[in-house]
Amino acid sequence: MVGPGECSGNGEAGLPSRRQLLRRGAALALAVPSAALLEACGGSSPSTGAGSSPASLAGTAVMENYPDWMGAHVVQDFQKLHPGSVIKQVSNSSSSISGTVQQLKTGDFDFGLADVSATEQAVDIGLVQPLDWSKIPNIKYVAQSFRTAYPHGIPTDYGKIGIGYRPDLVGEKITSWHDVWRLAPKFSGKIVFIDLDRDCMGSTLKYLGYSGNSTVPSQLTACKNALIQIKPHLQAFLGVNYGQGLQDGSTVIAMDYDYDVALNQQKQPKIEWVFPSEGMVAYLEGWIAVKSSKVVPLIESFMNFALEPKQYADFVNTTGTAYVEPAATPFIGKSISGSTILRPGKAIANVEFEHYLGPATALWTQIWDEVKAA
Amino acid sequence: MQAATALRGRKADSGQAAGTGRRLGHLLVIPTAAWTLAFFVIPLVLITVFSFGTENLVTFNVNFGWTVSNYASFGSDLYLTTLLRSLALSLGTTTACALLGFPLAFFISRQRPRTQRVLLACVIVPFWTSFLVRTYSWVNLLQTDGPADRLAFGITGHHLQILYSPASIAIGMTYSYLPLMVLPIYVALERISPDLYAAAADLGARPWRQFRRVVFPLALPGLIAGIIIVGVPAMGEYVIPEILGGGKTLMIGNIIVGQYLDVGDYPFGSALAVSLMVILMAMLFALRRVQPVVEAR
Repeated sequence: MVGPGECSGNGEAGLPSRRQLLRRGAALALAVPSAALLEACGGSSPSTGAGSSPASLAGTAVMENYPDWMGAHVVQDFQKLHPGSVIKQVSNSSSSISGTVQQLKTGDFDFGLADVSATEQAVDIGLVQPLDWSKIPNIKYVAQSFRTAYPHGIPTDYGKIGIGYRPDLVGEKITSWHDVWRLAPKFSGKIVFIDLDRDCMGSTLKYLGYSGNSTVPSQLTACKNALIQIKPHLQAFLGVNYGQGLQDGSTVIAMDYDYDVALNQQKQPKIEWVFPSEGMVAYLEGWIAVKSSKVVPLIESFMNFALEPKQYADFVNTTGTAYVEPAATPFIGKSISGSTILRPGKAIANVEFEHYLGPATALWTQIWDEVKAA
Repeated sequence: MQAATALRGRKADSGQAAGTGRRLGHLLVIPTAAWTLAFFVIPLVLITVFSFGTENLVTFNVNFGWTVSNYASFGSDLYLTTLLRSLALSLGTTTACALLGFPLAFFISRQRPRTQRVLLACVIVPFWTSFLVRTYSWVNLLQTDGPADRLAFGITGHHLQILYSPASIAIGMTYSYLPLMVLPIYVALERISPDLYAAAADLGARPWRQFRRVVFPLALPGLIAGIIIVGVPAMGEYVIPEILGGGKTLMIGNIIVGQYLDVGDYPFGSALAVSLMVILMAMLFALRRVQPVVEAR
């Protein structure tokens, strides 16, 4: 759970790469004004801050990361501060949970970006190097709720799955997932859902009153039936541009990510975002160190540097992601920190982060295939 | 005597040269053979070996216990239904490509050489742009208030509402695969001597009879090649259904990709891939047996 007023922004899940890159594109579009604002504030200059010392940390740390999922100046500034140190980023070919874990298992990486699900699986098979938190004092800037939810590394970003809709076209106020299912026959062909099992089935489980991480077969069967029930009324399960149709009204209701709704709202102010009363699922991702790494002190130092509020703001303004470090707010662009969609206040208490499903992952996939095949 | 010896010597030299030439010819095969071995045969063997294994989905450790359980799972309703759907869409796409491609190829083959080159370029040029861009462009064409929808609304007063349906998948697949059908048919048609048309006409055959008795039988090898070139990849297609089907029409290719990339279950994904391959091979062999019979008619 996330405390009120701790976070805002837009984000991304660690899932199939092409879809993800396109999603990132949308997030980046939102981030452009904020990056300009940060430049104006001079926020991208190197800063040592608490816990960063200019001691020698020669060596190369190879990071498994999404393309461009890094502050524009963070690596450069760190390497300048620590001559001889090199942070080499490698973009993985598959950013699904299983793909991420298998990449880390190869031994080719020293640390990497992973969501909670991938991290928990990596911990289960002994891939994750416990961190020396005394070397990462800047973790104090991260909201406690995120630290609790992401204990094996440093949390970096998160994103919620809620509802975007057009009240002017629907003609009534939507407040819950139940409203979506109730209104589906009336707006048949004008509703879109997210084409991702964890997010779509997780949201459907919330609609049914269950945990978004349920592994109970009967609950998953109920989830499948609910999705099959609404499927004839869906325009599509979309992997990109989920809420784009909200702009011209070809879509009136969308299961959507917070950042995507915020982006579309900039172009069509009639779009509204709903924190469903039954709750929301969200992804949370961060950086973890790999056990086989020979450069753990370098990784810890880099993690600490990246958590300095100005450096972290550089990451948020570059990527446009939801952020987990309230202390960075003054350095983050207003389009992100000032958005009511992205800055949910108390409503975020209803958020449930997606967790590793263990052997039930295969069951989820099978049920998702059955929904798609129905 | 000396002349005969010299002749034998020249023959021997000539034979040696021919042998050396043959050996050199064989050497030329080595790069292709090595490439095929490394990037086709070995991966194929690996996939087959994997398909009989099991995987711990937590640790991703594969146990090669030689089980057939992965193949048994393929018999479930979910996979069989999806396979049949893929087969139907593949057959539909191939048929549409043949019906559209044959007349087009015939038309091109009957033009002057220079016009033929221009028309062939028109068929091929779309391939110079990205496959994804071409596929996504259909989303814009078919979406509500898009050009196709506006045209339909103008004519019928009703919206088209075709995007994200099996029909839009069929349109996208037919568009993408059409050149693969046109080219082999064109090659077969282009080889037909104009004298044959003249001879058929002299013997009293009207145009339709000429086509039925002369053109079509001679173009059949090209048509069969086109059917194979279009039908096989269409069966495993997963990108077009994902983009134009709105994620609502599951194909066997989508399931295989999901098993490899999302679940990480390589043995089951391999079993599905091998099963699909076996089914396609059986169909190709059947086509191969039918081909001589059809050609003999």
